[in-house]
Amino acid sequence: MADDRAEYVLEMLGIYKSFPGVQALDDVSLHVRPGKVHALMGENGAGKSTLMKCLFGIYREDGGEIILKGRLAKFHSAKDALEAGVSMIHQELSNVPERSVRENIWLGREPLHRFGPITFLNHGKMHRDTAALMKRLEMNIDPADRMGGLSISKQQACEIAKAVSYEASIVVMDEPSSSLTETETEHLFRIIRDLTARGVAVIYISHKMSEIFQIADDVSVMRDGKMLGTWPASELDEDKLIKLMVGRDNTQRFPTVDSEIGELRLEVRGLTSAESRSFKDVSFDLRRGEILGIGGLVGAQRTELVEAIFGLRKTSCGEILVNGKRAVIRSPRDAIRHGIGLITEDRRGSGIFPLLSVTENTAVASLGSYIRGGLLLEHRRIEAEARRFNEQLRTKTPSMWTQIQNLSGGNQQKVLVSRWLMTLPEILIMDEPTRGIDVGAKFEIYTIMAELARNGKSIIMVSSEMHELLGMSHRVMVLCAGRHTGTLEGPEASQENVMRLATQFE
Amino acid sequence: MAANAVGALARKKGIAAFLGKNTNLVTFVVLATILGVMTRGRSFEWPSVRNLMIAESVRAFAALGVGMIIITRGIDLSIGYVVCLVASVSASFAQTPDYMAALYPGMDFPIYLPFIAGILTGGLFGFFNGVLVAYGKLPAFIATLGTMSIARGAQLIYTKAAVVGSVKDAYKVLAQGSVGPIPNLALYVVVAAAIVWFLLRHTRRGTNFYAIGGNPVAARVSGINVEKELVVVYTFAGLLYGIAGCLLSGRLGLANALTANGMELDAIAAVTVGGISQAGGVGTVGGMIIGVLTLGIINYGMTYLGVDSYYQLLVKGFIILVAVYFYIRKYSQR
Ligand SMILES: Nc1ncnc2c1ncn2[C@@H]1O[C@H](COP(=O)(O)OP(=O)(O)OP(=O)(O)O)[C@@H](O)[C@H]1O
Ligand SMILES: [Mg+2]
Repeated sequence: MADDRAEYVLEMLGIYKSFPGVQALDDVSLHVRPGKVHALMGENGAGKSTLMKCLFGIYREDGGEIILKGRLAKFHSAKDALEAGVSMIHQELSNVPERSVRENIWLGREPLHRFGPITFLNHGKMHRDTAALMKRLEMNIDPADRMGGLSISKQQACEIAKAVSYEASIVVMDEPSSSLTETETEHLFRIIRDLTARGVAVIYISHKMSEIFQIADDVSVMRDGKMLGTWPASELDEDKLIKLMVGRDNTQRFPTVDSEIGELRLEVRGLTSAESRSFKDVSFDLRRGEILGIGGLVGAQRTELVEAIFGLRKTSCGEILVNGKRAVIRSPRDAIRHGIGLITEDRRGSGIFPLLSVTENTAVASLGSYIRGGLLLEHRRIEAEARRFNEQLRTKTPSMWTQIQNLSGGNQQKVLVSRWLMTLPEILIMDEPTRGIDVGAKFEIYTIMAELARNGKSIIMVSSEMHELLGMSHRVMVLCAGRHTGTLEGPEASQENVMRLATQFE
Repeated sequence: MAANAVGALARKKGIAAFLGKNTNLVTFVVLATILGVMTRGRSFEWPSVRNLMIAESVRAFAALGVGMIIITRGIDLSIGYVVCLVASVSASFAQTPDYMAALYPGMDFPIYLPFIAGILTGGLFGFFNGVLVAYGKLPAFIATLGTMSIARGAQLIYTKAAVVGSVKDAYKVLAQGSVGPIPNLALYVVVAAAIVWFLLRHTRRGTNFYAIGGNPVAARVSGINVEKELVVVYTFAGLLYGIAGCLLSGRLGLANALTANGMELDAIAAVTVGGISQAGGVGTVGGMIIGVLTLGIINYGMTYLGVDSYYQLLVKGFIILVAVYFYIRKYSQR
C-alpha cells in the first residue's frame, strides 16, 4: 500500500462538514491522480462544491485530513490553497466587473516593480502577460477590456484563463461549462488536455453527462453528502452513472409531450429592439398547449428577445398580441398582468434575493393572489403552496425558511423555477431552464413542462442544449445574429438543420 | 473624403466618450463658467481662487479618506466629530503657555507634539472603525455611527465643552502660511492627493481596495485578505482625518465643539458628485478632488453672490441630487 501513496497528488480522507440543519459532507474521501481528469458527480446539493471549498480553504472542514503531494495540508484561506498549487474555477462567476480583464486575472498577485521597500504595480508586464496567456489559450480577449462589458461566456473564459495562469498542480473546475456553447466547451477540453499532458490534475464538476465521457479518466460519485466510490470512466456508461447518482433507474430522458395544440395565444409581429445591434423584425406565433423552443448560438439575441417580450427591454417597433388583442407591455408588471412569466437566465443577477428564505423567494412573484380581505397575506397558504412546488422539483433544503444563499447552486435554480410556476402563468418563458440542474431534476422540470402544456398553457423555452431543444419542443425557432432564420417542425427539426439556421450569417 | 468623415466622426465620438466618462469634470466646468459669467470674471481672479483653495483644503483630506472607504463599499459617518476631536486635541498641545484658560497651563510643548497627538487620535479612531467593520462584521454605517458618538463624547469630556483657544503663532503659520502666492494648505492637499493617487493606481493595495468594493467574494477567492485590507483603509482614512483636524485647528487658531460639524456629509457629498459610486469599486482621486472643488465653488459662489445662507443649503442639496442622478443613469445604462 505504501507505494499507492505516491500515485496520488491529492487525497482527501474522511472529510466531515456540517451547516446548520445539514450534514453536507459525511466521511468523504477522494483520491486524485496527477495528469488525469477526475469527474466529481452527484445531484444538486450532494456536496460537490462544499468538498471543493474545503479543499480551497474557503470552508474549514469539521474533521478529516487533506494530503497534498504527500504532505498534510491545512488551508485557512484561498491564499494558502493558491500558494500550495491549487486553483479553482468557482460555480458562480467571481470577477470584479468594473475592472479590466488583466487586473482580474492577476488580482492578489500583480507583478510588481521594486525600489527598496517600495513596490508598485508593473502595468506593462501585467498587460503583456495577459496577452501572452490569451494567445497561449487561443482566446480572443483584449486584456484592457472592462470585465463587466464582456459576454457571460467570455467572462467564463477569463475565469478559465485565470485558473490556468496560477500554474497550479491541481485545477478544480466547478461547472465551468454551464454558460458555454458546445464549441466553447470543445475549446475548454483542449485546454484541459493540455493541462493534463503537463501532469496537472483536473477535478471536473458538471451536470452534462456527455461531457464526462468525453473528458474524464476517473469518476467519483456523491449522494447526500456521502461518497459512493470512484470508477474508471471506461467502466461506466450514462445509464449506470445516472443510476449511481440518483439511486434509482431512470432510463427515460424526456417525458412524452402529448398536449393538444389549440388556438393562438401569443402573436409577435415584427418586433425590433431599440438597441441597434440586437434582434430585428422577429415574428412568430405561439398556440395553446404548445412548447416553442428557441435555438441559436450565444449572441443570437435570444435572451434579449424574450426579455423584450417580458417588458425588460425597450423595442422600437413591432407589436405583441395576447389572445388576439394588442398588448402594451412596458414593464414586467404589464407582462405578468397579461399572464406572462419569465424564468431568467442569470439567476445571481436578476433572480434570487440571497438573504430571503426559500418560501419568500418562491412566493415573491405571486403574493397578489394570496391576500385576504384586500390586506393581509395568507402566510399559511403561501408556505403550503411554496412547499408544494419545491417538493415537486425536489428542491433540497434544510427547511422552507433557510436563506436561499445557503442552498447549492442547482437548488437555487429549482426555487426560481418554482417561483414562476407558482404565478400560474398562461405563457411561461423559460430561458435556459435546466442550466446547472442535475439529471433527475431536469426530468422533473420536463415533466412539469409537459403537464403545463397538457393543461393548455403555452411555453417558450430558450435553450442551448440541443437534446432538450429537440426533445421537448413542438417547434424550434432559430435565431442568428438577431434575425429569425427559420422555424423547424416534426422530422425537419434535426440537429443539422438547427445548426445550419443558427450559423446562416457566419 | 469618406475617410476624413469617418475620422471626424471618430474624433467626435472620442470627445463625446470623454465627456460621458468625465461627468464630474463637466459639472465642475459648467458651474465654474456660470459663476464666472455671473461675477463678470471676478471669480477667476487669483484672490478668489486662493480663497477657494484655503476654504476647501481641510475638506479635501476628509474626502480623500472617505473616498477610499467608499471604494471598498464602506462608509464613514464619524468624520465630523473625529476631526473635531483631533482639532481639540492638537490645539490643546499648541496653546501659548501663559494663556490662563489653557488645558495644560504653563506647559510649552514642542511644536511637533500637537501633530503627533492629533494624527494618532485620528488613526486610532480609523483603526477602531476598521476592526469593527472587518472583524466585528458590523455594517459600516452602524459601526461609524457608534464611533461618531464616541468621538463626540470624548471631545466634550476632554475640552469640558470649552473653547480651546490661543494657539501659538508658530503652529498657526503651518496652516496659514504660503509659499509665494500658493497657500500651504493647497500644497499639503497636492501631496496627499498624489500619495493616494499612487496608492490607488500603482500599488497592489489600491487594486485590492477596488476589488473588495467591486466584488468581495471574488477578492477573497483570489487570495486577498479582505479583513486586513479593510482595517488598512479605515486606518489610513483616520490618519488623513488626523491631518485635517490639525490643519483645521491651525487655520482657525482654536477648536470648539462646533468645529468640523457636518464635515462627513460634505465629504461624502463631494466624492459622490466626483463620481465615487456608493456601490463600491469605482472612483478616482481626480474625481474626489473635482468633487470637493465643485461643492467648493457652489459654496463660494453663492456666498459671493450674496445668497442667503439658508437658501445656500437648499440650492446645494438640489445640485448634489441632480449630479448624482446623472451618475446613476450612466451606470444603470450598462
Ligand atoms: N454556506 C452554507 N450554509 C448552509 N448550508 C450550506 C452552505 N453551503 C452549502 N450548504 C448546503 O450543503 C449541501 C451541499 O451543497 P453543495 O453546494 O456542496 O452542493 P453541490 O453538490 O455543489 O450541488 P450543485 O450541483 O447544485 O451545485 C446543500 O444541502 C446546501 O444546502
Ligand atoms: Mg455546486
